[in-house]
Amino acid sequence: MTNDATLTRLRAANPVAEAQVADDALFDRIVALPADAPRRRARRNRRMLVLVAAAFVAAIAASTAYALSHWVFTDVVRAPVSRAEYKKAQTILDLPPGYTWPAIDFRDDSVMVRGGGGSMALSIDQSAWECYWVGALERRDTAEAARAHGVLDDLMKNRMSIAPAGAPENWAPENATFPHLVFADDGGYQFKQRIYAEAAAGKPAGLEQSCRANGP
Amino acid sequence: MTETLDEARFRGIFSHLGAVSAYAARRGSRDPDGVAAEVMTIAWRRLPVVPADDPLPWLYGTARNVVYAEARSRRRTAPDEVPATSPAPEIRSLDPELDRALRALRPSDREALLLVAWEDLTAAQAADALGISATAFRVRLFRARRRLRAALTEAEPVPLAQLDVEGT
Repeated sequence: MTNDATLTRLRAANPVAEAQVADDALFDRIVALPADAPRRRARRNRRMLVLVAAAFVAAIAASTAYALSHWVFTDVVRAPVSRAEYKKAQTILDLPPGYTWPAIDFRDDSVMVRGGGGSMALSIDQSAWECYWVGALERRDTAEAARAHGVLDDLMKNRMSIAPAGAPENWAPENATFPHLVFADDGGYQFKQRIYAEAAAGKPAGLEQSCRANGP
Repeated sequence: MTETLDEARFRGIFSHLGAVSAYAARRGSRDPDGVAAEVMTIAWRRLPVVPADDPLPWLYGTARNVVYAEARSRRRTAPDEVPATSPAPEIRSLDPELDRALRALRPSDREALLLVAWEDLTAAQAADALGISATAFRVRLFRARRRLRAALTEAEPVPLAQLDVEGT
């Protein structure tokens, strides 16, 4: 059986046929609902998610299996260094209005690649600006949306890079500006570029999903 | 009564009500019409972020979350009805062999396959529904197809002729 035959068999086994449904009463009930209150709640929830996202990022950083991207520079440092890097990066990077830096528990018995604390801050900053952009689009605040787009483009251009195909895990660009983040050569960097371009063109679905998946 | 611009736009999204209900039914929802209604309500409330040109991936992505929430709620209220080890809402009844093979897959692999096979999405649309890049989706789909094929092959009795050839 070929792969195509597998899909064909799966298609043929579709258990529910789609039906055209017209439910005018439901339509009327839905459009009678207000839209603003849930949006405000969603923004509050996003702020509450900062800590959850931070814990997730910390867990990833503590793991040795983080294959999507890796922290820059080559030597390994202990928690106090990473902690200091994270703090230093906060003095360099700007979070969007309303966002705060999450407290991250760098466990004393953990190690990271040098620069990792800064890369972590950069990743948090990027996700925060993505969510801020989503919020600006929801508010139809074009000026703030453009501002978020500009910040993200600047981060991508000046503080993020792609490891060459086949590069070792500890590859880092020469003279990388601190903080800096390296993407593996797996399309992740280009995906970010694409969702930013689409959001700027009025199609924010990718940006919104990225915010939901990664953001505070 | 004259429709507002938002209402006119939402009417286009609302035309997918049947597709969303079918999606929920295929993923084992006990109340697919209720799921579809909830998804549409969310879409109305979040209208500015729903893609105007192709809302279906967004709707399926939201429906997936609603179906998962329904399954979690079901586990809390009637734990005996749903196996505790079940990682996700299960697909609706199929022929036993295909059912076994699909259940053997990871939920993410299974969803990738079903979005293409049952929801008839393109790779780009399915990637949007899952919130991943199209490249990542293609890789996931490729692996999922391979795993499904392997699972089906394990389930199928091997023809005698094939055994003979392999044995020589």
